[in-house]
Amino acid sequence: MSVAELKARHVAATETVNSLRERLQQKRLLLLDTDVVAVAGYAKAHGKSSVSFGATDLVCCRTLQGHTGKVYSLDWTPEKNRIVSASQDGRLIVWNALTSQKTHAIKLPCAWVMTCAFSPTGQFVACGGLDSVCSIFNLNSPSDKDGNLPESKMLSGHKGYVSSCQYVPDEDTHLITSSGDHTCVLWDITTGLRTSVFGGEFQSGHTADVLSVSINGSNSRMFVSGSCDSTARLWDTRVASRAVRTFHGHEGDVNTVKFFPDGNRFGTGSDDGTCRLFDIRTGHQLQEYYQQHSDDEVRHVTSIAFSISGRLLFAGYSNGDCYVWDTLLAQCIAGKIWPLFLKGNGKCTHMPFWLF
Amino acid sequence: MAESYRVVATAKSGCSSSVPSLPPPCPKSPPEYPDLYGKRREMAKVQMLEREIGFLEEELKSVDSLQPASRCCKEVTEFVVANPDPLMPTNRKNRRSCRFWKWLCGIPCFNFSWICCCCYSGCSLRIHLPRCCDCNCNCDPCDLCNCCSCIRCPAPNWRCCSCRSCCPFPCSCSCCCPCSCSCPCSCSCPRSSCCRNISCCSDCCTCGFPSCPDCSCCRCSFPECSCCTWLCCCPRWTFSAPKCPKSPKCPEVRLCSNCTKTCCNPCCLFF
Repeated sequence: MSVAELKARHVAATETVNSLRERLQQKRLLLLDTDVVAVAGYAKAHGKSSVSFGATDLVCCRTLQGHTGKVYSLDWTPEKNRIVSASQDGRLIVWNALTSQKTHAIKLPCAWVMTCAFSPTGQFVACGGLDSVCSIFNLNSPSDKDGNLPESKMLSGHKGYVSSCQYVPDEDTHLITSSGDHTCVLWDITTGLRTSVFGGEFQSGHTADVLSVSINGSNSRMFVSGSCDSTARLWDTRVASRAVRTFHGHEGDVNTVKFFPDGNRFGTGSDDGTCRLFDIRTGHQLQEYYQQHSDDEVRHVTSIAFSISGRLLFAGYSNGDCYVWDTLLAQCIAGKIWPLFLKGNGKCTHMPFWLF
Repeated sequence: MAESYRVVATAKSGCSSSVPSLPPPCPKSPPEYPDLYGKRREMAKVQMLEREIGFLEEELKSVDSLQPASRCCKEVTEFVVANPDPLMPTNRKNRRSCRFWKWLCGIPCFNFSWICCCCYSGCSLRIHLPRCCDCNCNCDPCDLCNCCSCIRCPAPNWRCCSCRSCCPFPCSCSCCCPCSCSCPCSCSCPRSSCCRNISCCSDCCTCGFPSCPDCSCCRCSFPECSCCTWLCCCPRWTFSAPKCPKSPKCPEVRLCSNCTKTCCNPCCLFF
């Protein structure tokens, strides 16, 4: 077949894909049998009352000082008593969340760190960034002669920056990374090798940088990824050749994804200023969370987190604001709660503390 | 080519034999090789699109059997309502009655922690007592944590404190307070925290942890120093600027109107 014929086939295939996507979207719209605002419409119709916070209901109980640069990422241990944070100052700091004590300050080989994660046992921390490598540190290993904690493993293989990483629940030996090379990778940390590559040049997957991953806490074989191609994708770790489902709707980069506590839904945050709730089994977009501002400036959503019940959605924005959304009624119930508290990408996460 | 030269030489020598004149040599144009690399890539793209068509057609068939959105919304609502959430505000009645206990149990040096423990178990008040687990102590949560029976602290030269944590030597601890460095040196740092090294104030900039959010306690020769770097007070990036990684690939460029760095455009993310 000649190149000209191939190009013609390319054009025809692209048109077919677009047409099929359009048909799929039309069919999905027919399945949205609730009010346009989906979850909010259902919840209101069933008498759910709104949440309101008093002045003392959401207060800052800890300020962890120590980093000298923007904090780009943080993660909790499963026991919710320690935090690891990664900063532009080139350090990972491990904090005792109850006492605010620092237990480790790890100097990184590459200061351009973008993500960090705690292992399920709390013994290891992982981080990655512009060096395209995911580094693993054993918190129990002795420091070297310079007082630095050495890397216990380096996971090399990505051809672009590592944007996000998360350990597979209950497994200190496997983690998933997302990357600027358009792929996600499941790693076997023991061997340092890639077990599976999701997407990539010749596989069906994201078509732009992947910025975030979230593993399903109820079924660790499933994870979602968010990308600069404006989509989120659901993956099954047993099938790397294609995504289980692709979620369209956002009109900008999907910067952050997070599973809803029930494991059947997930939230996204995007450069289009919206957070959305999707259902993984049906692919429906169940709710959109967006607030118009008087200055019409679109604030990119940089990170999100759900509370334990899923009733509250915390969203951090590019201007440093953090809003709290009622997920059922799609109302913003607290805004700008920590405008100065959150640094860098304004990351806020689920807090195990009861605030008083 | 050699033959042509021989013919010309023969003609010049005045040989009278009749030799047909050959056209002057001219190089041939290179043969047109097919752009195999471009064709292969084009074929791969087409194959990917055709696979995508297959996936979309499968999805179209299956979408008719999907449950409607209202059922998903019902599931979400039921899940949220069924699960308690500590971050959700309590109603006003409970709030008033528990306000006293909140205040009392929130006092750092409140010694009757057993009351809070009772409140914890019996009252609707949500009080969270820190467990004595920082230094792997086996403490009853209703006791005042006394970590003197600690077996292991995070670092060898750390020791247990009565304030439920381990502090780096030789900083002392006071009851109910986080580690405060009572240093032998006179501390001029207005807001220093514990340092790994011997003192907390003598040279903040060389502490294992950055201890001076402002450089007021550091003798800094640069008039405009920002927060202490790990090495010393200095203008940002003078000593700590990392080398650009090999083959940098720029992440998505954000607003960076003042960005002047060219390596990886990292400043677009980090500045």
